[in-house]
Amino acid sequence: MKIGFIGLGIMGRPMALNLLKGGHQLSVWARRAESMQPLLDAGASGAASPADVARGQELVISMVADAPDVAEVMRGVASAGTSGLVAVDMSTIAPAAAKAIHAELAAAGVDFVDAPVSGGEVGAIAGTLSIMAGGSDAAFARAQAAFECMGKNIVHVGGPGAGQVTKAANQIVTGMGVLAVAEAMAFASKNGVDRAKVREALLGGFAYSKILENHGQRMLDRNFKPGFKSWMHEKDLNIVMQTAHELGLCLPGSAATAQMFNAMVGSGLGEEDSIAVLKLLENLSGQA
Amino acid sequence: MKVGFIGLGAMGRPMALHLQAAGQELHVWARRPASADGLPATVHPTPAALGAACEVVFTVITSSADVEGVALGDNGLIHGMAPGSVLVDCSTIAPDVARRIAGQLAEKGIHMLDAPVSGGEQGAIAATLAIMAGGDAAVLERVRPLLEKLGQRIVHIGPNGAGQVAKACNQMIMVAAIEAVAEAMHLANAAGVDPAKVKQALAGGSAGSRVLDIMGQRMVDRDFSAGIEARLHHKDYGLVLAAARQSGVPVALTASVAQQLNALMALGFGKDDTSSLLRVLEAGRRGV
Repeated sequence: MKIGFIGLGIMGRPMALNLLKGGHQLSVWARRAESMQPLLDAGASGAASPADVARGQELVISMVADAPDVAEVMRGVASAGTSGLVAVDMSTIAPAAAKAIHAELAAAGVDFVDAPVSGGEVGAIAGTLSIMAGGSDAAFARAQAAFECMGKNIVHVGGPGAGQVTKAANQIVTGMGVLAVAEAMAFASKNGVDRAKVREALLGGFAYSKILENHGQRMLDRNFKPGFKSWMHEKDLNIVMQTAHELGLCLPGSAATAQMFNAMVGSGLGEEDSIAVLKLLENLSGQA
Repeated sequence: MKVGFIGLGAMGRPMALHLQAAGQELHVWARRPASADGLPATVHPTPAALGAACEVVFTVITSSADVEGVALGDNGLIHGMAPGSVLVDCSTIAPDVARRIAGQLAEKGIHMLDAPVSGGEQGAIAATLAIMAGGDAAVLERVRPLLEKLGQRIVHIGPNGAGQVAKACNQMIMVAAIEAVAEAMHLANAAGVDPAKVKQALAGGSAGSRVLDIMGQRMVDRDFSAGIEARLHHKDYGLVLAAARQSGVPVALTASVAQQLNALMALGFGKDDTSSLLRVLEAGRRGV
């Protein structure tokens, strides 16, 4: 398939490389020209703008930072006037923003899919991302072959915005999950109990989770290298809390968790993995 | 002096009338012309036209976006107000929006004060508002005689935006106190104790406060008619949490209270008084 790809950062670059490996014909554009080089070396062609990247394509994919960036590049994509184009954004943005972009692109004749991912840089490189998509059946069908090059667990959740709603729900579970494991670790230590043994015991029971297993191990190792940077998790939890505010939705656990991540960013832990919330708990409980 | 007034709602109307009663020549613009009915004032077709006629313009409007529109939009004040004239914005809006508006007006030599108020409709009618001002101290002194017709406690907090920060602090304390009173009343009731007696006893001690007096009484009387429409506090809490996020400051209690306000909105109490937080607690106890 002829695919345009916009945004070649930590996530976008390996995702685009996997599309090339899957035999797709790729045209790429990135804000910083030097980010394009690895893709050009691997056989992609370079484009001059988001509009240029969309010309003559069947599918355009974006992976950028935030909602205003998505809106801007998608406006460029729509301006190319490619007939029958399907545009897929795989960034994490607010569901309301995704719906607005969907409506704007629909008016320009472009069928839009919001398809955020979970799995981080490791999943992007391995091509094992979870992909949660919102949009029309026809648009999802067009994008499916591309999704299969980048991810494993690919679910068409519903209509416009449904992918972002799912991602926000994912961030609620992972945000609270990381905090829950960190609190259990702090609880064990403050009681003079070996936290490694506690984790080992819990892994066999109902408290088992991937987060207890993986993030828990990294907490024991005090390996705070990202992974998933805590400022990004904070950004995603802010999307959750904004949406809850707009809808009139009571999310007390998410609210408390979002404030812990807010504190992490404010105290200079933003560039560390979200498991660094453990350090914050230890500081607050005199365990540092 | 020719004084302009925009925003003739429950707060703005009595404030405008105080200025007129003090001998100022009142000029108004109203989005809905009917809101200016019966006012002893010259009505203008646009904010720009009003701005061109006045030395000082007051605004009391609900949202950041509306204030920005009236100040900077097409036919906005910026297109009419003369260099050296003063915009006094008494609305509660985001500190960064207040700074942005002030910055753009300053480029045209127009002064601005962010001067949000506390004291509610009663305070506006009685001219006993607390006024917290951000902006140039000399500009505040110029308009102080006008502000003294509206309120009693007029404090220069700091540069532009500082008034809005103070107002955010005010809302954090006040609404959290309302939630505290609601929880106390709810606990008393659930434990089979007369909330009216509890309130009476507490008023004499360390827990005594204006919120306990006024909002506590409304809870005892189960009189939830506004007062202050709770939806405005819900809106303000969005601003407070956004400001906390921008500063990287964790505000655990505020975030928790915000979730109760979200629930309040969902339960349809947005146009009732914020003492309805008691009814949110009662809804949480009913089960399903």
